[in-house]
Amino acid sequence: MTSTVPQAVPAPKPTVTGGAPLLEVDDLSVEFRTDYGVVKAVNGISYTLAAGETLAILGESGCGKSVSAQTIMGILDSPPGFVTHGEIRFRGEDLLKMSAKQQRDIRGEEISIVFQDALSSLNPVFTVGAQIGEMFRRHRGASRKDAKASAIELMDKVRIPSAKERVNDYPHQFSGGMRQRVMIAMAIALDPAVLIADEPTTALDVTVQAQIMDLLAELQRETGMGLILITHDLGVVGEIADRIAVMYAGRIVETGATDAVFTAPAMPYTEGLMASIARVDQKGQRLNPIVGAPPNLAMLPPGCEFAPRCPRATDLCVAERPPLREIVPGRRSACHYAEEVLGA
Amino acid sequence: MARYIARRLLLAIPVLIGASFLIFAMVFALPGDPIRALGGDRPISPAVQEQLRDQYNLDDPLLVQYGKYAGGLLQGDLGTDFSGRPVADILEQTVPVTVKLALVALAFEAVFGLIAGVLAGIRQKSFFDNLVLVSTTLVVSIPVFVLGFVAQYVLGLKLGIFPVAGVASGFQGYLLPGFVLAALSLAYVARLTRTSLAENLRNDYVRTAKAKGLTPLSVVGKHTLRNSLIPVVTFLGADLGALLSGAVVTEGIFNIPGLGRAVFGAIQTQEGTVVVGIVTLFVFVFILFNLLVDVLYAALDPRIRYE
Repeated sequence: MTSTVPQAVPAPKPTVTGGAPLLEVDDLSVEFRTDYGVVKAVNGISYTLAAGETLAILGESGCGKSVSAQTIMGILDSPPGFVTHGEIRFRGEDLLKMSAKQQRDIRGEEISIVFQDALSSLNPVFTVGAQIGEMFRRHRGASRKDAKASAIELMDKVRIPSAKERVNDYPHQFSGGMRQRVMIAMAIALDPAVLIADEPTTALDVTVQAQIMDLLAELQRETGMGLILITHDLGVVGEIADRIAVMYAGRIVETGATDAVFTAPAMPYTEGLMASIARVDQKGQRLNPIVGAPPNLAMLPPGCEFAPRCPRATDLCVAERPPLREIVPGRRSACHYAEEVLGA
Repeated sequence: MARYIARRLLLAIPVLIGASFLIFAMVFALPGDPIRALGGDRPISPAVQEQLRDQYNLDDPLLVQYGKYAGGLLQGDLGTDFSGRPVADILEQTVPVTVKLALVALAFEAVFGLIAGVLAGIRQKSFFDNLVLVSTTLVVSIPVFVLGFVAQYVLGLKLGIFPVAGVASGFQGYLLPGFVLAALSLAYVARLTRTSLAENLRNDYVRTAKAKGLTPLSVVGKHTLRNSLIPVVTFLGADLGALLSGAVVTEGIFNIPGLGRAVFGAIQTQEGTVVVGIVTLFVFVFILFNLLVDVLYAALDPRIRYE
């Protein structure tokens, strides 16, 4: 199995025992210790991911969604970043407690990531073939020749035209969409159990965005991997996500099945997000942005972080932070008035 | 690529002609009479002076003098010094010495500068990083002749680890002067490498390399260092020329019979042909190494291509 790319058969990897989820993030907190103070980027988030499932993590810039992804990958820059609390269990084992070598063996092999900007995320001085093939060389001990053959197969798989000729090209010789395909080829090379896509389409043209999302969805169907899709693009979420976790100021403020959250949000922030999308049937009307800006993560308020921007905020919201609680089966919301928001 | 190199080499010809003329003109403009100075305390008879002036064309106007010199040059004749020794002979004796010295210095710079820079760059704000910052600042602040004499006195004379002066003992004699010659540039290389590596480590593709499960050695050594070396290579290439001219002081201190000492002596005695010969050689080396640096760029970074 060193020279061939796993074909379109569900991964022949150890299956999840006892129905435990593939990946469990449990009460994870991450902070950055900077010269200007401690920035609490992620504050006690929990979620689970099952094989074959797509979880979308939705939120605006700086809400901690990318930081949590990097923490799962174990590539958080430390210092300044530190995990202060929580566990990240992969197949039941806490990644954070593993040795550096164990973590490295899982990275790329079992859990891999696609970054937002493929141009800067690919090394400019190596050919794409070498960069894709490196996965096989590092984790499978493949020879240069076999690694290159595998790289060509993968480039075919992610539908890069004339892969055989282009395998020796450098990243700058590809278009944006093709570069992102190279990134994806690299990430899925070893048939990982979990793929994290960190805003995979943000840097691309709209037409190319759709192609990349289709490719990701297709690859997931083929391999049965769990997909964590980090995005601020609601349109993308609606199409391929099974479940959504909405993040705000380092916390998960709402979770639920995609359709349910889309049709009836249970948290005013989610409500605001839905209302702010440009819609064809509201042509000519003004957009409804959420007024104000997210709080400074170095000085979080004691109450609900969204309260200063929330149209429903009361004294209770300012004084007391609402916990994330189950409001109806399968739905959780961190709002004191979740039931009212849901019913509205 | 071959065409690019050929074009650059052709461009070097007018540069060399211009440079040699400028140097010739500067020696011409030096105050004092080189022939009278030849005699020192014992004056030379006017007849002999006249004969010598005539022999070295010293009474001709600048352009005529240069024309005669350039004419000889085209026939492969570099001229002679005032004692009749051909400049070609001087070069033959001094060039190997200075090249050895410069190579020893370059090796010091590249090896120690790069190692110090890499170690400081990967662990910024660590003890070692601060050590590198402080020590390089110190070295940059010390004039080379002070460093040279101190090194000579302590390591050569007092401790006797290295020969005090000269290169009669062979390779050993080059080590201390090579280090002194390299010290300043070594400090620059260390700082340049440190900054460049630290900057490149923040690149997204380094994050990608980590996400692939590569070892820290591979992340730094394979994915970061090559990109970080571009400014360092630029510096080293340009610096080799500076090493040759910097050798004037170092060769003086350690009494090394190289190009630097020869050119210094020739300037003092206003032997134009010797000065022009050696300095033009410096210029040529400079041009050659700049070209080499440009070629190395393309090897280091595939985004750079020459037509």
